[in-house]
Amino acid sequence: MTDETTQPLIHFEGHRHLTTRLLLSTLTGRPIRISKIRSSSTNPGLTRYETNFIRLLDAVTNGAQIQFSMTGTTLVYRPGLITGSAEGLGAVGGVVRHEIPRECSRRGVSWWLVPLCLLAPFSKGNVNVVLHGEGCVTSSTPTGDVSVDTVRTAILPLYKNFGIDRNIELRVLKRSCCPAPGKGAGGEVQLVFGHQVRLPKTLHLLNPGRVKRIRGVAYAVGVSGSNNARMIETARGILNKFVPDTYIFSDVSPTPLIPSSSKSDPSGKSKGAVGFGLSLVAESSTNCLYSADVASPPQGGTTPEDAGKQCAYQLLEKISQGGCVEVTAVSTMLLLMAMGTEDVGRVVLGREVLGTEEAIQLGRDFKEFGFAGWGLRDKGEDAEGEVVVSVVGRGVGNVGRKVA
Amino acid sequence: MAPTLGKRKRITREELERPSRSPSPSSESQGSDGEDLQAIFRRAFEAKFKPLDIEPVNPKSEEEEVQEEEQEEQTDWSGISSEDEDQVEVFEYADTRHTGDRAPKAEMRAFMSSKPPSSSTSTASKPMPTATKEDDALEVSHLKNDAELQKLLRESTLLSTNTPTFSTRTGVSKGNARHKSTDLHLQALGAKTSIFKQKSMPMSHRKGIVAKARMREDKRRAEARENGIVLELEKKEKKVTGKRERGVGAPSVGRFKGGTLTLSRRDVASITSGGGRRGAKGKKGRR
Repeated sequence: MTDETTQPLIHFEGHRHLTTRLLLSTLTGRPIRISKIRSSSTNPGLTRYETNFIRLLDAVTNGAQIQFSMTGTTLVYRPGLITGSAEGLGAVGGVVRHEIPRECSRRGVSWWLVPLCLLAPFSKGNVNVVLHGEGCVTSSTPTGDVSVDTVRTAILPLYKNFGIDRNIELRVLKRSCCPAPGKGAGGEVQLVFGHQVRLPKTLHLLNPGRVKRIRGVAYAVGVSGSNNARMIETARGILNKFVPDTYIFSDVSPTPLIPSSSKSDPSGKSKGAVGFGLSLVAESSTNCLYSADVASPPQGGTTPEDAGKQCAYQLLEKISQGGCVEVTAVSTMLLLMAMGTEDVGRVVLGREVLGTEEAIQLGRDFKEFGFAGWGLRDKGEDAEGEVVVSVVGRGVGNVGRKVA
Repeated sequence: MAPTLGKRKRITREELERPSRSPSPSSESQGSDGEDLQAIFRRAFEAKFKPLDIEPVNPKSEEEEVQEEEQEEQTDWSGISSEDEDQVEVFEYADTRHTGDRAPKAEMRAFMSSKPPSSSTSTASKPMPTATKEDDALEVSHLKNDAELQKLLRESTLLSTNTPTFSTRTGVSKGNARHKSTDLHLQALGAKTSIFKQKSMPMSHRKGIVAKARMREDKRRAEARENGIVLELEKKEKKVTGKRERGVGAPSVGRFKGGTLTLSRRDVASITSGGGRRGAKGKKGRR
């Protein structure tokens, strides 16, 4: 796989879309070289959370080679085989425990989770990873990462469309909110992904349907549960007019305790960040999902009513964009389609969803990795602003499952 | 209405005859109040919609209307105030329904569990298909035939030896055959042993029977092995464990024979160390 004579390095530049590129490299088995990573910045090179993600990749694969340049602005990654949580390769008792240190608390844990979920179906064995540590933020963050609840209720159900639905769990062992700079979060999340496939099924999703129900999770960490009630009240006040089948569940949890690292008080514990947030998921009659996510900022100062209102409006906006897939899930969907059988899969996307930087860059990166290009056409006169995207699968799929 | 708080007074004939002194502000204007009211309503209406072209109404009917209105006002309607008419009334759509109600518990469990929620969970259960009458009758006959067929299959071994034809089976099968058939039926219903199994016999006979059965089984297995036939797995007979039943008043350890109590080494160990198997770590268990 890492034979350099047959596989030349694919070159990329810049720090953006790092996870997608590493993910594509691992899935296709092609080595990549990323240069000019924040080369003009005063703080050049990879950030802590990016190196931490590479560490996680290393933990779930076998035989990967990673080389950094001296300044950290260039990275060469030669992927290995995705082994999952195989015993003896970093896993203890079938579980990989991956620590996210305090410096990474800018990103939510979904930043690690979503790519990991994409790797998991193509793994050799089961994937069972616990993400923990001071930088593990389960809520949504101001940097745009969604909450764990949204990953579980809006992204993981999409795998069912590809015939991947058994033995998937995402347990939130400890909830945490986004901390102020220099503080710890202390969340803990376990991903169990026990359904590995040879090839995902071909997807044909052409009818967005109509929204039939809305569900949601309101979480309060270390603050009063009445915040949840207030968020739910406001959000339902807005959404009930449109969809009467709206239920939002409440989850109140205490602040996670973080063991202090100081030498003077080795057994001491400090409390993590507090806050509240809301995650909403709308489901259409054809099982398309739209999600919205709002959490209180680390500096505080917002009322739960504002959060609830903002989240409800965000959900309505996502629904108004149309299509079968919303922005946060579009890379997951397109990637799974591209990894599927050598057949044309089709999905309807909203024009605004397809026009996001993320989606377009994903298409370009696909091309770099040798995937077939996308076919785009307007859906028709009755569906304004919707585009049918045809994706040809690569037909390689899971290398670890080649021999059945 | 303001002055008449408490019990309502009876309206006398005289009061009815008087021109109304209704407290309603609409009729406070001194002029011809009926005309005025109409005009106000019309203006309000025309402000919203296109003006209607109404032909002048004949005074007779107008009077009647006024009468009716007076009646109504007299009874319990306090009227609308004319000041409010120009303002737009805003209704806040506040849902009263959603405040208290909660999702069903099952749904909450399904959604809040660690698994990704499946989209197929529906709260409403589907109605059961109702069977029609002729379907029922057909079903009953099918069931009956099924039972009959099962019985026939079960007793097919008896058929060949005892009653050579089917017709004789269902009728009065005689003696031994009947007993055998009953036995099979009982076993099908879950009887532990056959009724033909002999309960009491000399020990040597039983031993012989058991030995013979085992020998047959061994032979069968040996032949199968030689011929390369895979047979079912052999059932391992479990050794009877647990305490031996002892006589009333007899010593609870050892073997009492010929007036002497014989203790084996294990018995001694069990007495001295409080449970033989615990060995050196038996400190906790010692009483």
